[in-house]
Amino acid sequence: MFSRWNWVAYGFYLLLNICSPEASGGLVQSCGHIIPESPVLALGSNFTALCILNESCLDFGNIYANQIIWKIKNRLVPKEQYREINRTVSSVTFNDTSSLATPLTCNILADGQIEQNIYGITVTVGLAPEKPKNLSCIVHQMSRFRYPMTCTWNPGRHTFLDTQFRLRYSWPQETFPDCIPKDVNNSCTIPDVQFFVNTEIWVEAANALGKAESDPLVLDPVDIVKPLPPHNFSVSSGILPTVLKLSWENRISDTVMKLKFNIRYRIVGDRNWMEIPSEDTASPRTSFSVQGLRPSTEYVFSIRCMKEDGVGYWSDWSEEKTGITTEDKPSKGPPIWRIIDASHSPASWTVHLMWKALKPFESNGVILQYEVTVRDKSSLSSPLKKYNVTSTNCTLQLPNGTYEVTVVARNRVGASPPSVLLIPASNSKAPVKNLRTLPKHDKLWVGWTAPNGYVLKYVIEWCLVSSSSDCIIEWQIALGDVQGIDLKGIKPFKCYLITVYPLYADGQGSGQSVKAYLKQDRPSKGPTVQTKKVGKAEAVLTWNHLTVDEQNGFIRNYTILYKTIDGNETVVTVDPSKTEYTLSSLTSDTLYTVRMMASTDNGSRSGPDFTFTTQKFGKGEIEAIVVPVCLAFLLIVLLGVLFCFNKRDLIKKHIWPIVPDPSKSNIAQWSPQVPAKHNFNSKDQMYPEGSFTDVSVVEIEADDKKSFSEQDLKPFDLLKKEKSTSEGHSSGIGGSSCMSSPRQSVSDSDEGETTQNTSSTVQYSTVVLNGYRDQTPVQVFSRSESTQPLLDSEERSEDHAGGGDSTAQRQQYFRQNGGQDKTNTDRPCFERTKQITHASEGHLVGFVQLQISGQSSQPLGLGMEKNTQEAALSNVLQTSTEGQTVRPETVEENPLSVDEMPKSYLPQTVRRGGYMPQ
Amino acid sequence: MAAADSPSAALQRRDLCSRGIRLAGKMRADVVDLLDTYVERQGLDASASVAAVEGVPSAAVERWDEQTGTQRLLENLAAYRAFRALLAQMLEEQREQLGDADAALGRALAAVLLQVSAFAYHLEELLRLESRGIPGEEGAGPPPPPRLSLFEQKLRGLGVLRELAQWAVRSARDLRQLAKPSPAAGSAPGLAESP
Repeated sequence: MFSRWNWVAYGFYLLLNICSPEASGGLVQSCGHIIPESPVLALGSNFTALCILNESCLDFGNIYANQIIWKIKNRLVPKEQYREINRTVSSVTFNDTSSLATPLTCNILADGQIEQNIYGITVTVGLAPEKPKNLSCIVHQMSRFRYPMTCTWNPGRHTFLDTQFRLRYSWPQETFPDCIPKDVNNSCTIPDVQFFVNTEIWVEAANALGKAESDPLVLDPVDIVKPLPPHNFSVSSGILPTVLKLSWENRISDTVMKLKFNIRYRIVGDRNWMEIPSEDTASPRTSFSVQGLRPSTEYVFSIRCMKEDGVGYWSDWSEEKTGITTEDKPSKGPPIWRIIDASHSPASWTVHLMWKALKPFESNGVILQYEVTVRDKSSLSSPLKKYNVTSTNCTLQLPNGTYEVTVVARNRVGASPPSVLLIPASNSKAPVKNLRTLPKHDKLWVGWTAPNGYVLKYVIEWCLVSSSSDCIIEWQIALGDVQGIDLKGIKPFKCYLITVYPLYADGQGSGQSVKAYLKQDRPSKGPTVQTKKVGKAEAVLTWNHLTVDEQNGFIRNYTILYKTIDGNETVVTVDPSKTEYTLSSLTSDTLYTVRMMASTDNGSRSGPDFTFTTQKFGKGEIEAIVVPVCLAFLLIVLLGVLFCFNKRDLIKKHIWPIVPDPSKSNIAQWSPQVPAKHNFNSKDQMYPEGSFTDVSVVEIEADDKKSFSEQDLKPFDLLKKEKSTSEGHSSGIGGSSCMSSPRQSVSDSDEGETTQNTSSTVQYSTVVLNGYRDQTPVQVFSRSESTQPLLDSEERSEDHAGGGDSTAQRQQYFRQNGGQDKTNTDRPCFERTKQITHASEGHLVGFVQLQISGQSSQPLGLGMEKNTQEAALSNVLQTSTEGQTVRPETVEENPLSVDEMPKSYLPQTVRRGGYMPQ
Repeated sequence: MAAADSPSAALQRRDLCSRGIRLAGKMRADVVDLLDTYVERQGLDASASVAAVEGVPSAAVERWDEQTGTQRLLENLAAYRAFRALLAQMLEEQREQLGDADAALGRALAAVLLQVSAFAYHLEELLRLESRGIPGEEGAGPPPPPRLSLFEQKLRGLGVLRELAQWAVRSARDLRQLAKPSPAAGSAPGLAESP
């Protein structure tokens, strides 16, 4: 029980000791403290701290050193580092202060469990300052009397502590105030220094862990002066055109230091400085004359100074001042060249003289004018011609010859030496050899091999070749001992034509030319290709050359790329000189895509795609097919014709059966009464001239000895019946007989058809009439009055065939019959008819079919007494004409005439071999 | 003497002489400039003649060319020590009178004072090279100046500066004489007689 109360009292006491303010200072009365108090420790060193407990705490609180624990921040220090020195003192040792941190606290474990803080210290860890190194000083002249000295040094490593640097300087018997740097630790400026006294300068660095001094620097400040540059610097022209005088003021007195100088200068616009030799300006001065300058040239000058003995520093360069030298006469004549134009007249030249303006260092002033003198060398007596020109070219009209042209440039001071150019009659001298070019960065080098013989100089002409502008010639003169020059101002990707002429003392050589590019690029566009001709397996492509502006380089080749839609691309390389190429081995009837690429040394560019389709058949293939087919057809036709010809009898038999001549029939002996005034006795009368449009003539071969079979005659029987039933025009004498003997019918107008019709309808004779002048044609029938049975007729015809008279008569009237007598007097009439028929063939609108039996046909187309027949026909025609429309009915309405028709068939007449008009 | 004969000593002496000559030249130029400033700021007449100032050594000397080097150095040293004290007093008086109102004059005075001190140092070094003892400063210093009126102070200051300008010229000539390569002159009997 006592023990418990005792512990409670102890805790309360301890709390009071720690927490209750002391009466004296009002601070917490600690039960102990740490030694050392807030130490500054060198990094890496060892450190031991002691915690000393107050005796009062021992007596009342039973606190002893063995209860002490050490902590860094909140981290417990291992107990191995503790040492209990006595019952009130405990120490802790750190072998390396880098493990230390703030705060370091001394604590106790009250009652073995409750941790109470006794004391704490702040530990500062850092480094002692290093010895400052590399101390150096410079005196900057700020004005005529102010010479502050700035010293810099290397402060060394970072110390982690507050380290003071101070620059100290002294004389042996004089110590000056320290210079303490502001905001920096490596430089300090002493506001004013005294010259000519050796001064000792050093740097001191100090912090809580130590102090260090730099090596002392002993110097006379006058030896480290960087003076101000001279001022009031001015440049003035001298009397000579090559001299400028400089003057200035020094800002440091000779008593302080004597100066030497540097003078630099450059031409305005030029970046490169030139310097006056230093030995020329190594002594104190305030002026200097610069010699060897170019006349009439603006120069920029600048000056600087330093101590004469070279100890110290150069000042900055002074401000730049410019000055212009006075003019001098031009130092050389202008380079001259010419272009001779002989195209206007064969007897004279237009000479374009041109010369280059002198460069500033050559003109030595402003060129006021050029004096051109032309002397005719071929005529010593001819006067000199002089021209004063202000431009750099002159055009002269000179007769052909040899001239010496002199050009002199003149400025305010005087004239230049003359430039002479010989204009020869011809450029007959040797040219340069092996002309070549080579690009060099932005210049184009032109080289050549000198010709044999002494060359005074070379003229190099060049111009930009363009399709859009003329070739503007530029030129340059090179001395005779060089064999190559650099052309400037050459544009890349442009074609230049370069010509080199050698100039001899007595004339000039012919020019050698070369084309060149400074830099090549791929063409700006590709060639546009198209087909000129497309065949079955080949296509002829054409294209135009790229213009020189589009080429951007030398076209080395053209590449043709073509392919089908789904096929591989085929590439063909073509010589650049060509503009046409034939693609071969193409597939027929196929769509091809072709494009063309132009290539230079630096790349290629393609033109637009072009498509074409190859043909299905090649050239001549169609002909090769068609011609044989035609030939074969013709051959077949020919064979057919031959066959038909050979078998004509058979064919005739089947197609064109022989119609028996009714006149030969037995009934021919019967002679009906035919009125003498038959209308059909004259064709001309019946149809006025031109009214015949179609005539079908049935050729009746009366003397055909061939007898017709009954089969042959059947159709005619049928037709006869049809005719007699349908039309009812058959004569009362014997309708059947009149249709029994047609043997052959020929129609000139419609030969085949009529022939067929004739054969099918078995009409003996048909006369087709066209309408006369829009009148309705009259159909006239002539019906055979024969009633002779066919068989009898055949028998009779055979009998009659033997009669010479009958044969002779028939042959007289029918041209087609065997052609035995073509001198028939009726022939012209017949032929005319035939012609008319032909002429009006296309105008057949309506026609009259005139059926003529073997007998009745005679009065129509035939007649020995032609006049009679014509009169009869004329009557018929008149009838037709009067009635406007002559129809078959017209004939029927006139039965009298029909009845009269048999009267024309006189057996006597027939016997006599023809139709006789009555 | 051995030291004086050694090449390094000769070199050092020549360097000291050269530097001293230039310092004297600069000092004279600065003093001349300072005189103008002083006359202007103190309201004095530049043409005012000032009687010999007590305590200010006179640069003028008879038979100057007969003096030995040591004599020259000793006279110069005595003079410049006196000037140093006088200039320090002038500077103090000037600060008392004008405070910091005329800092330029104060800086110029201080600069001349430094140069005087530097020249005195040069002289001491030369004497040391001559293996001569350097006289104590107390004996060579001027007597404590009597209490003067303000005008008298100004006039005395003018006198000090004028005499200093004279001494700067003389000192340069003395050092040129010393710089001449004539060791015999350096070991003239007069040296032994000097204090």
